[in-house]
Amino acid sequence: MVEVNKLTKKFVRYKNKKEKEEFYADKEITFEAKEGEIIGILGPNGAGKTTLLRMIAGILEPTKGSISFDGLNYKDNEIEIKQKIAYLSGNTKLYDTLSTYELLKMCGGIYGMEDKNIEKRIQEISDILNMHKFLYNRIGTLSTGQTQRVNIARCLVHDPKYYILDEATTGLDIISSQIILDFMKQEKQKGKTILYSTHYMEEAENICDRVIMINNGEVIHAGTPKEIKEDTQTTNLRDAFFKMIGGVSIEE
Amino acid sequence: MKSNLWNILKKELRELFRDKKSLAMMLIIPIFIPLLVIGMSALFEAQVSKDVEEYNKIGFAYEMTDVEKNIAKEMNIEIINGNEEELKQQYDDGDIDLYITKDGNKYIINTDGSDTSTYSSSLMETYFNTYKQYLQQNYLQENNLNPDEVLNIITVEENMIEQDNYFANYIKNYAFLFIMMAITVSATYPATDTTAGERERGTLETLLTFPIKSKDIIIGKFLGVTISSIITGVISLVLAIISLIVTKNMFSIYEGIDTMFSPITIVFAVIVIIVYSFFISGLCISIASTSKTFKEAQSALTPLTFISFFPGMIAFMMGITTTPILSIIPFINFTLIFTDINNGTIDILNIVLMAVSTIIYISIVFAYIIKQYKSEKVLFTK
Repeated sequence: MVEVNKLTKKFVRYKNKKEKEEFYADKEITFEAKEGEIIGILGPNGAGKTTLLRMIAGILEPTKGSISFDGLNYKDNEIEIKQKIAYLSGNTKLYDTLSTYELLKMCGGIYGMEDKNIEKRIQEISDILNMHKFLYNRIGTLSTGQTQRVNIARCLVHDPKYYILDEATTGLDIISSQIILDFMKQEKQKGKTILYSTHYMEEAENICDRVIMINNGEVIHAGTPKEIKEDTQTTNLRDAFFKMIGGVSIEE
Repeated sequence: MKSNLWNILKKELRELFRDKKSLAMMLIIPIFIPLLVIGMSALFEAQVSKDVEEYNKIGFAYEMTDVEKNIAKEMNIEIINGNEEELKQQYDDGDIDLYITKDGNKYIINTDGSDTSTYSSSLMETYFNTYKQYLQQNYLQENNLNPDEVLNIITVEENMIEQDNYFANYIKNYAFLFIMMAITVSATYPATDTTAGERERGTLETLLTFPIKSKDIIIGKFLGVTISSIITGVISLVLAIISLIVTKNMFSIYEGIDTMFSPITIVFAVIVIIVYSFFISGLCISIASTSKTFKEAQSALTPLTFISFFPGMIAFMMGITTTPILSIIPFINFTLIFTDINNGTIDILNIVLMAVSTIIYISIVFAYIIKQYKSEKVLFTK
């Protein structure tokens, strides 16, 4: 289980060369994710979704609050936690000069897998994601869809317990984004926990068990899509979001 | 969990050897070493072996005797006669290399101290010594004295214990400076690419999500750059040795001189190259990892190329020799110790001090970078 408790991240930004100001990217965010759940982190651009998931993935250090995976915290068990998770974002880039096979082998090695198990796993993943055709091609020569499959393969190699997916479908064509959505459904069936951020409300409504809506770094609502729609008396999450933030203005 | 250092190093080396720019830096930069060695040899040759016809046009502002004319002819001196004013004008116009005026028994060599005039002056000093010897012999014979007994009252003979190795040492020392510069230039690109470049490409974020200690990431990157620097250094050394063998047969200034590095010099040169590669790679990575962009890192690293070269060059010019204190001063220590090795004055203490001080500097730099890689600053530097 993932437990996020009052997670806060404060940044400093410079207005000009001398003046600076502090602002909260995320403020006291609390939730938990159980095994086999897909949790959607929803909100517009700049809401604080990426910062939240980066803290959960151990890339950013929280200003306040705590994160635990199966009772382990980052301060004492960073390597152990990172072995349990896979992080994939819309911005995740791969090494162009390596082949898919070399990348997957490197990842397996990093996660402490034995060589024969890595080989077996690479073949399994290649079957699942239909990668045999380009397994030995350099990543720099692959199409966007193929690269996205390699990215997913990279996450699957060590069979993680938790997936952290930050806007993983943003900017992808319909086929590539469907690959990711199918992958999430399959992993959920295996009992994996997925934290998934997006600003595509319809996508989240279809796939997520529970949703956490964030705006300006704060949770504005949390619950199942059905609960949120009932609470806001709307028919979809998009309308629910706008209702909660009191409509939209050009100034925002 | 076992260390991931080997996985990171393998990744770094794969990227390094598959990147055309990194390969070019590693393998093409050493090609400049033979060009520099041959170029410098040609320059020395041109300075030392100047043809007499390039500086033999001498103006004489007086009537020469037949004896003087014969000596001048034998010495291949081209005589230009005229009065002082005419000769001065010709000298100013560059038509003659210098001119001689005479006041009684006093001969004056008129010159401006330029390179050509120095050669001409030297030629004329030999000419006047020959003429003076002729006059002295004549005078002694006229006074019934044996010239051999008077002129050779003492004899001086030079016994050359060891042939001067000036050019060979000079070229070898500069060749080593060029090797250091080549190592520096070749280290800057992969160091930039593996830090600021990896951040800019977005792959560093991926790397930081892996269960890898920041120490392993940094040391893996550092070793990758160091290996590439050592390869450049060793290729440069091999090319320097080959070019010294070639230049020995091409230029007369090396006649009778041993231009080869001795086996012990080669062994120690490789040691200095390895230590320097560790040092410069650590320094490049530390500077590049604090830069926001690839371009900024490249700009920050450019001065290193000059810093790697100038202290050594100044030390050569000033004739500075190695001391224990200088052995711990970065950059200058590597060149001075190599000069010692080349001159056959190997001092193990200085070599140990160089190696130990380099390890200390790298450790300090690494403590700082590893701390950087633990924090988010390395990813989101602003």
